[in-house]
Amino acid sequence: MTISLAVPDVLIARAKSGDVEALEALYRAFETPVYNLARRILRHPEDAEDVLQETFLEVVRSIRAYRGEGHLWGWIRRIAASKALMRIRRDHVRAEEVFDEESTEGAPPVGVPARIDLERAMATLSETSRAVVWMHDVEGYTHEEISEMMGKTVSFSKSQLARAHTRLRRLLEGEGIAR
Amino acid sequence: MIHCNMEELLALRANEGSVWGRQHLDDCAVCRAELDALYQRVAQLKALPPISPPRDRWSVIRSQVIGARTRHRRLWVARGLAAAALLAGVVVFRPFGGTVAYADELERAKQQSASLETELQRYDPDSRVVSGRAASAAAELEDRIAAVDGWLAQLNGAPAGPDPQLVRLWQDRVNLMQQLVDVHVTNAAYVGL
Repeated sequence: MTISLAVPDVLIARAKSGDVEALEALYRAFETPVYNLARRILRHPEDAEDVLQETFLEVVRSIRAYRGEGHLWGWIRRIAASKALMRIRRDHVRAEEVFDEESTEGAPPVGVPARIDLERAMATLSETSRAVVWMHDVEGYTHEEISEMMGKTVSFSKSQLARAHTRLRRLLEGEGIAR
Repeated sequence: MIHCNMEELLALRANEGSVWGRQHLDDCAVCRAELDALYQRVAQLKALPPISPPRDRWSVIRSQVIGARTRHRRLWVARGLAAAALLAGVVVFRPFGGTVAYADELERAKQQSASLETELQRYDPDSRVVSGRAASAAAELEDRIAAVDGWLAQLNGAPAGPDPQLVRLWQDRVNLMQQLVDVHVTNAAYVGL
């Protein structure tokens, strides 16, 4: 995904002062990447929409704390990722599951052919696995950063990534050599 | 022949593979193909088209922002009116105040306030990394302290001795300063600075 996320400093300064038009401009600049991040992690589109909304409310509340160190997208992305992970955790708690429960993993769901495309393969992963794959392989977070945000260990993040790729490989390429 | 498992392939991708894994990769075309497939899979993930939100959420966010600001303004207007009433009370009842006990309490509150100011400077919050939540809490407290200072400045203009209202204002200031110090100390402990 390649989107220009450069934001003029003057716009950030106006947003920090509470200018609603500047805040809207920031929303317009980042709504798609934030929604995309949330949607790639979360199973339900409406959950991703809620994360989008929660993320920008947090941005509005906290923009004064952004000190211009690093790209603004990195700051907003971290808020969005935290909100999405919080939602996974909350949903798991509600369902009385453990955080790393892989309830949806294992055999492909009924109706899923042996070879499927990448997006559909990703959709069969648990939200936790999807979150790790997307944050590590696409967004470039380290296992240390992911484990910190998830409140888990580095080895948890690594094992989730390995399990997810094993499953993706199986779904995308069919059963190959035994591993 | 034993092949690399996915953990080993991911480690090799991250240049963290074992000696065995690296040597095996040199010798095994199957594992090299698996590693290539892993790279391709990740490249395909990165190339997935962005998904745009199906609905515009800005109107909801905007209304919440405006609503919060309105509530904040109303709160400050109410506080301003309360402060004006307090000030009027101080002016009216000043002749009946000014006991030695109040003078002691006032002095104590001023000393506590000064020592908290010193403590805050020691943490040098302006040069520290701060979380959004901590920054928001600190900004709110700083606003409230500024309001108390404004009221104190008005009282200082009047030739008054110690009285309960003045003491209470200084004690409020001490409480707010203590909360502000706590916010910064907690943040410093959290980020390990």
